[in-house]
Amino acid sequence: MTPAPFTPAPPAANDTLLEVHDLSVHYGYGEYATQAVQNVSFRLAHGEFVGLVGESGSGKSTLGFALTGLSKPPAHIEKGRILFGGKDIASLDAEQLREQRHGGIAMVLQSGMNALNPVRSIRNHFVDIFRAHGHVERSRWAARATELIGKVELTPQVLDRFPGELSGGMRQRVSIALALSLEPELMVFDEPTTALDVLVQHAVMNTIIELQKAENFTAILISHDLGIVLESAQRVMVMHEGRIVEDAPARQILENPQADYTRMLLSHYADPRAEVVELPGFADRQQRQNDGAARADGATHAPTVSPRTRRTDQHTMIVENVSKVYPAPRRGEAPVRAVDNVSFTLEPGSALALVGASGSGKSTLAKLITAVEKPTSGSIRFGDLDVGTLSRRNFRQLHRDVQMVFQDPYSALNPLHTVEYALTRPVINFTGLHGTEARRRVLELLDIVGMKPVEEFAAKLPHQLSGGQRQRVVIARALASDPQVIIADEPVSMLDVSLRAGVLALLEDLREQWGVSLLYITHDLLSARVVTDNIMVLNHGAVVERGNTADVLRNPQDDYTIRLLDAIPNPRKEVA
Amino acid sequence: MTSTQAAPRGVDGAAPTGTSPTDAAHAPSPALAAVGYVARKLGLFALTLWAAVTVNFLLPRLMPGTPADAALAKLAQNGPVSEATKAAIEAQLGVPTGNIVEQYFAYLHQVVTLDFGISYTFYPQSVGELVSAALPYTLVLVGLVTVVAFVLGTLLGVLAAWKRGTWLDSVPTLVGSFLSAFPYFWTALLLLFFAGYVLRLFPTSGAYGPTATPNLSFEFFGDALYHGVLPALTILITSLGGWILGMRNTMISTLGDDYVTFAEANGLKPRTIALRYAARNAILPNLTSFGLALGGVVGGSILVEQVFGYPGIGYLLFNAVTNQDYPLMQALFLMITVSVLIANFLVDILYGVLDPRTRR
Repeated sequence: MTPAPFTPAPPAANDTLLEVHDLSVHYGYGEYATQAVQNVSFRLAHGEFVGLVGESGSGKSTLGFALTGLSKPPAHIEKGRILFGGKDIASLDAEQLREQRHGGIAMVLQSGMNALNPVRSIRNHFVDIFRAHGHVERSRWAARATELIGKVELTPQVLDRFPGELSGGMRQRVSIALALSLEPELMVFDEPTTALDVLVQHAVMNTIIELQKAENFTAILISHDLGIVLESAQRVMVMHEGRIVEDAPARQILENPQADYTRMLLSHYADPRAEVVELPGFADRQQRQNDGAARADGATHAPTVSPRTRRTDQHTMIVENVSKVYPAPRRGEAPVRAVDNVSFTLEPGSALALVGASGSGKSTLAKLITAVEKPTSGSIRFGDLDVGTLSRRNFRQLHRDVQMVFQDPYSALNPLHTVEYALTRPVINFTGLHGTEARRRVLELLDIVGMKPVEEFAAKLPHQLSGGQRQRVVIARALASDPQVIIADEPVSMLDVSLRAGVLALLEDLREQWGVSLLYITHDLLSARVVTDNIMVLNHGAVVERGNTADVLRNPQDDYTIRLLDAIPNPRKEVA
Repeated sequence: MTSTQAAPRGVDGAAPTGTSPTDAAHAPSPALAAVGYVARKLGLFALTLWAAVTVNFLLPRLMPGTPADAALAKLAQNGPVSEATKAAIEAQLGVPTGNIVEQYFAYLHQVVTLDFGISYTFYPQSVGELVSAALPYTLVLVGLVTVVAFVLGTLLGVLAAWKRGTWLDSVPTLVGSFLSAFPYFWTALLLLFFAGYVLRLFPTSGAYGPTATPNLSFEFFGDALYHGVLPALTILITSLGGWILGMRNTMISTLGDDYVTFAEANGLKPRTIALRYAARNAILPNLTSFGLALGGVVGGSILVEQVFGYPGIGYLLFNAVTNQDYPLMQALFLMITVSVLIANFLVDILYGVLDPRTRR
């Protein structure tokens, strides 16, 4: 695509559309208020495309909701002004605010998947807006809805569908068309593509960029992904802990970032096709490995009750010609081939990346390997175990050696139990240790995953931990049985970029120090490049490309792999 | 630009023109889909109905002996029973004839012709007569009150959720949950005592006055309504709170849903958001409870009918059980089962109309 223009005109005073002056948004009041947005000031000129970047908790969404007058209690504007076309948004009453939404500020929400009323047809969504603002004559309703849906590259047939009949990408496109129907001067996109598959994400972003040019509205793109923002926005504001730490043209952010925080964010982006890929978390790995060596020499005070591994022999996971066919979801449709004739072997201590977009069969394959699902044909062998026909009674045997790390660390831990409890259960179940011995093993596990001081972390509840720390607990839990194979299903996709590298480095350590083999399921090619030796690209359940990770990514052969690589937002791609 | 664009369109299904063949397969014509949906639900209904009827046939036959045996055993305690007495009792109560298959078909025939035999308790009235006399009272009293309670409670619940934190929320919620915590019969006794005996506002028992005769005159209807006020109030008071709370809670959760926030961001009118977005989705789970409640209507409200001496199905059922009146019980149980099935079927159809997600 064409490079985004990197030199915005400096906003002239008379061209100002939005002026935010010393804005603070708090959750709650008084001493205990959370100061989500603190003293933020900026100015937007007509026609600008501005990115607002920050990690979770930076206050970027809170700011977006304040700008659109959608803050809900306990969030409230503590002080400051939001001047839009000369009027202060914060001082409008509910009805004035509602009326200004036509021709004013529109918003596209983060979870576009759920932004549509499930019991209302798409057409009625448009009609509701037309009726509320009266800006389209009744006789033109149908024509206008068709026109708008065409702008987001959907067919008019979509108008008579219900939201549940549309894919995630289509739903998000409908949301954008609905926001457009307000003829807004300013569009606020709050993480518009986060919940979408990587290829769809790319397509929807392209639509947004083109629409902005064609319709000439002013846009704010809120995202946690600096890559996406740098690809589309002319100007970027970086937010950290409620403040805007940097506000500069995109090119300047990329080439000459001023704030330490911006530099840190940028350091986590790399091109998976580069000759050498370095991520920050891996820089101190050497250091940690030295620590490990010292520990092995006995020069450590970490509690050690069990030998490094009790295994005498390691097994290879052999998957041969495996297919999984699900019956047709509705009558008259073809059965779904989720996994189509896949073969691979996972040697002890090796790491294999399983890459593909959503629906490519990655997760189904993981279910087959853990015997959660039975293959329709083909065989899966692990040592003496025939995983494909394993009976429920023999699951324990398999699960002692094959453990799973899930995508979402926020829902993988019971919020009512402490970390110690979460880890003690599998320790008792799989190792037979009890009492103080079990406790020592739990502390040892926490030590392995780098949660120190261990005693302190053991006593914590999940909500007291960050996403990265939770994912470490989930990994520690998977390690409780001293497994040979860990299947990590998108283990870092829910985490902020600054936390990802640490978790990836941990997985790498486990492999090198403990000989755990790793099946790394992801759509994130960069992390696949960093963590694995070999890669397998899946499309519609079938392997379309495989080989050494660096080789495949640097020199992709399959069209699908090339598209996946192209879809990765990468700030440096434009410059290179 | 062109290459990056051409690829993704296929990915999220945003084909620029025309309807793809898969689209056509996904969306058969709405009318056809509706017919298919109703036909499937109807088939399921017929199957469950047959199962219920058959179980109702089998259950008594799994018990040892016949009603005549039981009666004879009782008589035998007072001395030997003559052959003539035995024959007389067997003739009176009936003894199964033929093998089980013949009995089953005979039974099916009886069910279809609504012939459930003679009641033991109200001998020599037939079960059919008893039920058809009691049914209208229960249907009108309990049925009407259930519908009114649902509609009123749902409206109050919508209002409470929409005006959350104001008196419109706190008063109905508090009063509703307080009143629904009362046991049925206790509310009934209180009403009976104060409104009936102390203030003498309403009659204390029966479905109509001692001088009235059931007919289709306005006079009789007025009298019946007058007699129905206290039992109706009892049921309303104790069931209203549940509907208010149920609707309020589901609506508060739909108010937090993204589509409500997005509707707000699009500047829809508050009324549209409250009714067509929040309430419209919130009512769906409550419909299931309403279906169950409707099905329960035919069973009557045993305690309320008992306290007020109201001659409905609940009253009849109570008498049938205490007097071991098997024919009456069997007919009543069958009727309750069937009405629960019918109510669920109707709610299923309603669900299909209201929620496009269930129509697949």
